[in-house]
Amino acid sequence: MIDTLLKMFWSFCKIGYTSFGGMSMIPLINAEMVSHGWMTATEVSDIVAIAEMTPGPLGLNCATFAGMRVDGIVGAVVCVAGVLMPTLTLCVLAAIFFERFRGSTALNRMMLGIRPVSMGIIFGVMVTLSRTNYVAGSSVSPGALAIGLVSVFLLLKKQWSVPKVILLAALLGLVL
Amino acid sequence: MKQRLQKMWSLFYYFFRISWFTFGGGWSMIAQMQKDYVEKEQAIPAEELLDIVSVGRSLPGTMIGNVAYLFGYHQAGFPGGLAALLGIIFPPILILSVLTFCYNQFQDNLYVIKMLTGVRAAVVPIILAAALKLFKTAISDRFSLILCIAACVLNVCFHVNCVILILCGLVIGLVAGRWKEARA
Repeated sequence: MIDTLLKMFWSFCKIGYTSFGGMSMIPLINAEMVSHGWMTATEVSDIVAIAEMTPGPLGLNCATFAGMRVDGIVGAVVCVAGVLMPTLTLCVLAAIFFERFRGSTALNRMMLGIRPVSMGIIFGVMVTLSRTNYVAGSSVSPGALAIGLVSVFLLLKKQWSVPKVILLAALLGLVL
Repeated sequence: MKQRLQKMWSLFYYFFRISWFTFGGGWSMIAQMQKDYVEKEQAIPAEELLDIVSVGRSLPGTMIGNVAYLFGYHQAGFPGGLAALLGIIFPPILILSVLTFCYNQFQDNLYVIKMLTGVRAAVVPIILAAALKLFKTAISDRFSLILCIAACVLNVCFHVNCVILILCGLVIGLVAGRWKEARA
């Protein structure tokens, strides 16, 4: 068990150190969870939805969920500690040397490369999740596809808030 | 000593309270901090809060956690930062622990399965909507567009690990940034 806990801690460290803001965590979480067999891609979709419905940052919500699933409260604490490692190390340093971090050129330059790459792997995870979310058995599920299209329309054209869209999708899921 | 403990407690309690209502990725929390600490209490000038937010955002990890720590540190040093961070993380852990318990219990219920199937169909659109909002800041020229496409293709078609891709992006950013500035 200790072995699994250490592995989970390390996984969430990696997720923490390489993610910059909310959504960029999803591809990393998906890759780490699925490759270790801790969660399926379907469950990753569920946690994204749950995290969007509840307060708190996505990273913490995912870490708690994944940790709880694998090893209860202890697992949750270990995973949350992992995902907080950047804050507990880099941020602690940044607070002490705040003047140097403020408007640092190196940080800005790094972001020049990291932002587009994050965007690229976010599109990547959308492809991966689509494969599981819109396919039932060996064929495309028309119901799921319809809900997906309605959601795109409501989010992009009608500017609906995310929790509202999720509630509607749940209702449509019951009916279809 | 007593004053310090009091300060820590108030930081913890403040972030504990607002953490219950931070839907939609942190920005609502920063708006709240702006209202309470900048306008009402005048504990920090607006520019300094902005600086804290921009540093917290450019460091990896959860932005809210970074901002809470930096703000707590600004107010009361390392213990203050820790108190603010603990305050921020408690509510999501509590809520998610309960929800995960329910998820485990009801995952196999027929109605729950149906609802979850619907919800899953909305997840990719939700990610898409969030990604499009960030797209303009992330992809500003041909260079960043190529990087974005390359990362996507390498990840999806060649299964290159996300961590490795991000680290490559970091190095490319450092090099390209220097090169661009040298040319300008």
